[in-house]
Amino acid sequence: MGFLAPWFLAGLAAVGLPVYIHLLRRQTTTPRPVSSLMFFERGTQSSTRHRRLRYLLLFALRALLMLLLALAFANPFLRRSSAAASDRLLLVAVDNSFSMRAGTRLADAKREALEVLATRKPSQPAQVTVLGGELQVLTQPIKDAGALRTAVESIQPGDSHGNFGELGRGMRALVETVHTPIELHLFSDMQVSNMPTNFADMVMPGNVSLVLHPVAKATVPNWTVESVEAPGQLVDPKKARVLAVIAGHQTPVATRTVSLVINGAVVATKKVEVPADGRATVVFESLDVPYGASRCEIRIDAADGFPADDASSFAVKRADPERVLFVHQAGDPRSPLYFGAALAAAAQASFVLQPINVEQAADVDPTKYAFVVLSDVPSIPSILENSLLRDVQNGGSVLIAAGTSEAHRQRIPIFGESVTDAHFYSRVGGFSTVGQVDAAHPAMKDSAGWADAKFFYASVVDPGRSRIVARLADGTPLLLDKQIGQGHVLLFASGFENVTNDLPLHPAFVPFVDHAARYLSGEEGLSGARTVDSFVQLRSTTSEAAARSQGTTVEIIGPDGKRPLSLQEEATVQSFRLTHAGFYQMRFANGRDALIAVNPDRRESGLDLMPDDVLKLWSGNGSPGVSATQTAGTAVEQKNSAYSLWWWFMLLILIAAVAESLVASRHLGTQREEV
Amino acid sequence: MQRFLDPAVLAGISGLDLIAKTVVDGFVAGLHRSPDFGFSQEFAEYRAYTPGDDLRHVDWNLFARTERCYLKRYRGETNSQLTILLDASNSMNYGSHAVSKMDYARYAAASLFYLAIHNQRDPAGLIVFDDEVRNYIRPSTRQGQLHRLLAGLEQAEPRARTNFMKPLAHFQEFLRRRGVVLVISDFYESPEVIVKTIEPLRFHGSDVVLFHVLDPKEIRPELRGPSILVDMETEQRLEVIPEYVKSEYRRKMDGHLQQMQERTRAAGLDYHLLVTDKPLDAALSEYLFLRPGGR
Repeated sequence: MGFLAPWFLAGLAAVGLPVYIHLLRRQTTTPRPVSSLMFFERGTQSSTRHRRLRYLLLFALRALLMLLLALAFANPFLRRSSAAASDRLLLVAVDNSFSMRAGTRLADAKREALEVLATRKPSQPAQVTVLGGELQVLTQPIKDAGALRTAVESIQPGDSHGNFGELGRGMRALVETVHTPIELHLFSDMQVSNMPTNFADMVMPGNVSLVLHPVAKATVPNWTVESVEAPGQLVDPKKARVLAVIAGHQTPVATRTVSLVINGAVVATKKVEVPADGRATVVFESLDVPYGASRCEIRIDAADGFPADDASSFAVKRADPERVLFVHQAGDPRSPLYFGAALAAAAQASFVLQPINVEQAADVDPTKYAFVVLSDVPSIPSILENSLLRDVQNGGSVLIAAGTSEAHRQRIPIFGESVTDAHFYSRVGGFSTVGQVDAAHPAMKDSAGWADAKFFYASVVDPGRSRIVARLADGTPLLLDKQIGQGHVLLFASGFENVTNDLPLHPAFVPFVDHAARYLSGEEGLSGARTVDSFVQLRSTTSEAAARSQGTTVEIIGPDGKRPLSLQEEATVQSFRLTHAGFYQMRFANGRDALIAVNPDRRESGLDLMPDDVLKLWSGNGSPGVSATQTAGTAVEQKNSAYSLWWWFMLLILIAAVAESLVASRHLGTQREEV
Repeated sequence: MQRFLDPAVLAGISGLDLIAKTVVDGFVAGLHRSPDFGFSQEFAEYRAYTPGDDLRHVDWNLFARTERCYLKRYRGETNSQLTILLDASNSMNYGSHAVSKMDYARYAAASLFYLAIHNQRDPAGLIVFDDEVRNYIRPSTRQGQLHRLLAGLEQAEPRARTNFMKPLAHFQEFLRRRGVVLVISDFYESPEVIVKTIEPLRFHGSDVVLFHVLDPKEIRPELRGPSILVDMETEQRLEVIPEYVKSEYRRKMDGHLQQMQERTRAAGLDYHLLVTDKPLDAALSEYLFLRPGGR
């Protein structure tokens, strides 16, 4: 027992008050006059004893009241175990993130988890969870030792990036439903990279006692393929090149052999010297892949303790160049010139521009093109508009440049929104610049040079439900993306002719056209590499498009050759989480096929361990390095909690005050009578 | 009208004369409703003429028939001298409510004086005593006698202690004519001593009445806890427990009252217990009952 505010114990001196009143102060009784004592007889002895007893009771109650008041203000508490072991929920969390594949970490973690479960009292409920990219519950709180053991043994190594912040979030969600204290045993390699940005995210709630079981004793040197830069789609293998970064974590200087593997065959090998705890870059100048989708891989001969991260996969699709239909006015030869030049200058040029006058575009079939560009055309034939709209609904895309001719139109074709105003910045002797860019949009990946471009004209378009990708300095939407059906319409609120703006003259125009073309053609998501736990959008998220695609199924074949989705899910699910490393074959709702390589998060390759002081701070009990042999029961005993007795003391004060009032009222009643 | 006789009502009236008038008028008004009472000037008796008698009262008609000289006397002319002996000791100051025993005694005495002088035209006098005679107003029917008596009552502040033996010796000197002698006291003395002291007053042929004034809390006292009691006359202190008051005291007090009643009756004295929360008509009725004209 202790006191949270021991200074208030000085209030115990107040007990002297009733001592003074009852024992030290001379008792005075007001005599009661009577006519004659002729018929009275003395009853002193009995009277005094009776009074003394009553006084003593009153004194005791008052002294008790003072004592309890002082103790209540001192806020006493009891150190006691938060709960009996049998009342606690034993929660076992086994880390199966990608780094747990190193050595025997996962096997050790499972063995220690089984040992902890074995020391559990039969009456204590336990639950088994797996911590990867998220906290996955394998069992409900149960007491069946066999089921718990089976759950632990069934844990397989994962490819996710571990996140202790997810563990904290999961615990905070769990304590909302489980009201008993929770004893959490975490079996992990305690990788530094698993810590969230904010330490507070991984702090456990109050009634969760965390017991850490580090399974990695020391940092292991590790080489890994940190990143691979390769085209997702290529036309000419001679122009394609592959750039790989080889990184070493806690490693000495070493020479590593790097191999390019295409469809299982090693096509090129290079040696590279990786500096101590540093990085080296390897470039393969050609990527000679056959037509169609190819499974490629960069592999190193690391010979370290973590061979699982010695390769990095990527998918490449080789095809003939796709055509882009560029519809422009007859008097505007500049726009196709600038746009075509930018498209051809792109590093991975896989598009061929086909310019056409708007008058000749009536009978064009848009489905034969990767996407269509409408460059400041005042009107398009209704046949073309209808066929374009149908194409967009089915997954096609259109890029619209709303130049000066659009200023006279109320409604922009395909896009569907109206031009409400037109800003002629040059007429007021100036220009506008780009003020805000949504860098997360695929078309704006390299938007660094946009700030230098001058805009002399911009159509003011009502954005409606479209996504504003870029704005001018005065807030006018410059680039808007609107999803219609399965396709997209990108609206540029100016022109490509170097008159309404000088963007085509800036280097930033090339990556913009390149990325916009990839985005509009849909090539962006059909190949390349992704990270484990990233999502792939299978269907449009808009309700209109979802209704349209209802009934069309998607098809996913995982790295293990199995379908991760059920038939019902394939017909309805909108996005898919890539949970395993390897190659996923996909067929989207719009009919396009894709081969996507999925690699583990390379932060998992850094096997640095969390410092002891951080572990101490996290577990909060001063003993972070809890040995694997520590049992659940002993861990409980070490985690004592302070149980405040304040309310109990207040209750006693109330009872004492009532009793004192009753006794005092009887006593004072006699006094009044005597007066 | 009964409410005008209530001591608690009278306590709110200032001035003994007004109190006395209120009591007596109320009391007399109540009597008028009864056909059995009356004190108009009715024939009472013949008495033989003795030298010195007023010749105006001789019944000359009877003298003419019988040649004997008789005086004709009427009831209204039967003078009954009223003397009140008022105990003004400290114990009379006790009161558990608005009216103390002394107040009650004053009201009763004032009412009797008013009744005697104003209504009956009887001479009335007052002797105030404690352990000695403190004030004596000779019985008279003179003009202003009532005011003198009431003033004497006003001045009769309780003090000292009661001692019947000492002042009673002087009473004999004052009471030379027969009449009605009222002793108003709380009689905290042995009944035997009281009777022995007061009994000689009868020897002059007077009717002696003892008005025993007690507070209701003296008859049935209540204590909630052990208390220290102080004798108002002797200042003596005594610790008393409630159990005693509830049982033994009441038994003793009842015995005392019974003895007072029995011994006074045996000695030919009239005894009346007046409780201070009861109306005053009991005292007035007793006076009228004892007065020769009232019989």
